[in-house]
Amino acid sequence: MKECSEKMRKVASDALQKQEVTAVLGWRKKDFWWQSPVAFIESVDDVDQLVWDPFTVFNPVKYLLEDYDCHDKVGIFVKGCDSRGINRLIQDKRLDRDRVVVYGVPCEGKADADKIRASFASKKIKKVTIDGDSLIIDVDGKEERVAAEEYLLDKCLTCRYPNPVVSDKLIWEEVPVRKGVNEARFARIDNMEKKELEERFSYWSRQMDRCIRCFACRNTCPACNCRVCIFDQAEPRWLGKANDMGDTLNYHIIRAFHVAGRCFECGECERICPAGIPLQELNRKLIKDLDEFFGEYEAGLDPEDNPPLGTYRGEDPAGFDES
Amino acid sequence: MKKIAKSQLSKMLSMLSAEAKLYVPVASDGVVNFAPWQEDVEVDLTTINVFVPPKKFFFPQTEAVLRYDISDELEIEDFACKAGDKTILFGVRPCDVSSFAMMDKVYLGDPVDIAYRQRRENTTVIAMGCKSPDETCFCTSFDLEPGKAPGADVLATDTGEEIVLSAQTTKGEELLTQLNGLIQEATSGDENKVKDAQEQAKEGYTTSVNVQGVMEKLDGMFEDFYWDRLHKRCIACGTCTFVCPTCHCFDMQEYSTGSRGERIRCWDSCMYSDFTLMGHGHNPRPTQKERVRQRFMHKLNYFPHQHGDYACVGCGRCVRKCPVNLDILEVIQEIGGAAGGM
Repeated sequence: MKECSEKMRKVASDALQKQEVTAVLGWRKKDFWWQSPVAFIESVDDVDQLVWDPFTVFNPVKYLLEDYDCHDKVGIFVKGCDSRGINRLIQDKRLDRDRVVVYGVPCEGKADADKIRASFASKKIKKVTIDGDSLIIDVDGKEERVAAEEYLLDKCLTCRYPNPVVSDKLIWEEVPVRKGVNEARFARIDNMEKKELEERFSYWSRQMDRCIRCFACRNTCPACNCRVCIFDQAEPRWLGKANDMGDTLNYHIIRAFHVAGRCFECGECERICPAGIPLQELNRKLIKDLDEFFGEYEAGLDPEDNPPLGTYRGEDPAGFDES
Repeated sequence: MKKIAKSQLSKMLSMLSAEAKLYVPVASDGVVNFAPWQEDVEVDLTTINVFVPPKKFFFPQTEAVLRYDISDELEIEDFACKAGDKTILFGVRPCDVSSFAMMDKVYLGDPVDIAYRQRRENTTVIAMGCKSPDETCFCTSFDLEPGKAPGADVLATDTGEEIVLSAQTTKGEELLTQLNGLIQEATSGDENKVKDAQEQAKEGYTTSVNVQGVMEKLDGMFEDFYWDRLHKRCIACGTCTFVCPTCHCFDMQEYSTGSRGERIRCWDSCMYSDFTLMGHGHNPRPTQKERVRQRFMHKLNYFPHQHGDYACVGCGRCVRKCPVNLDILEVIQEIGGAAGGM
């Protein structure tokens, strides 16, 4: 892990020094053991901030959109999940591929701080590192070695693309895809589909009732890249600001449908939702339906093709109504 | 001072719920929130931070302030005087209790917000002293005592098998009188246990921050490059503002169906692009930089200048919940530690 951080620093340092890029996006460490926010490196002097640790999970791709327009060329470290976001932005014509240098960092999965907190006193944890299949948790100076599998994020345990699908430079060797991930992909959806309508409605009502309308799910999502979001428009106002169930469902259903066929399953919406709403179930249900209606399609793999809802073919199940 | 065995707690809550709407911390799908008490709910006595802070009982996320109907003759229904059924909050943590005093400065100042005042007056707050802080708790940095809640009507202290209840206001005394027959007189031993618990609660803090001089330093930092750097990470979600017990900005919205409609007051977030967006299209805070600056200047400079206290109680919710780890702890540390501009 330490070597990984070193490799990233070296790459960033070289790129900045040779002026191949003027900024590098990666991750750094903050105060708490579970905090590894995105780092914006603009100077060689700062490259030592870069780290690769069990919490470097936040997808940095969205930062390529606005703020970095002032930079001619940006370097960005991407995990497998993140990398599909690059293709997402290119396909949506929101990113010029020539403006980014993509450094691929194959990933064996990131840790779930809540799972760790459930077993170890958070206050006593000094540091968490990963070593192959193990997680090493420094609890007050004493090292506890546990099976990483037990403490990884659920989304990582079902990750089908641990290796970047797009990169200019792979920073270390690719990692194997976990067994059973294809079967696990729609497991929650299959379960949900078996339930009666009333049960599904009461489940979703309960989940959505917790929504505080912070829009974190939208704001972190690389597929949500409209220049002005319909939900932010004041005139006309499409989404009422009052937090009632009607408007909350309005928001969530439109969000899910707008990313249908474009969602590449990074799972960040669900992970960062402060209310713990299982948004990935909505996304995956739509992916499953689209696969059934229009044939299997994987978003974020090929920046040149068209997403299923962004194209029309004669054999589509619903005809093209010109009336 | 009174006390009740934990095994009798449900009975006590049942009695209280007969008199008023009673809300208690309850975990549902892994998220703890204040929820109406019912016979079969399990009261969460250990979680420190409920997800949505209890400010919502006085300042709801959404409230209709008036309803009108002009289909026949103009009819206006004004909700301001109708706010506030008799309510009891059980298990409010000391940091959140002290946030009420901050909200009071805004909503009970001049002019008084009538609906807010009615809800405050009709609500009895039973605080639950903290036993052990979370890693993100830093209330002691604002001179709060985790075992005490001076603004609460009743202070409840978990002493192990029992909960000791001490009334701190007339409202609190009345509430305990209602429970006569069920609750017992506390002994001097219990009083000592409470004191011990309060002392013990002060230990175990792993997070603290020096707020000294931060307000003064910010006086000269409105145009500082610090904000250019800080805001870059912000993804402009409203999590920090909505989980914050002291954030109190609102927006007025009209819901109209032609001849009928409602005027709604709802929480607003300075993180949003339409915050302070004027009717003619101008926004004095056009980018995330100005919005992020607004949030921290409001809490650490404008509010203390106007009301004397920092608008932060150190609950740590924003520290835990911010998806990009941009929080007030970091800002206080950096401003406090920064020698002038950065």
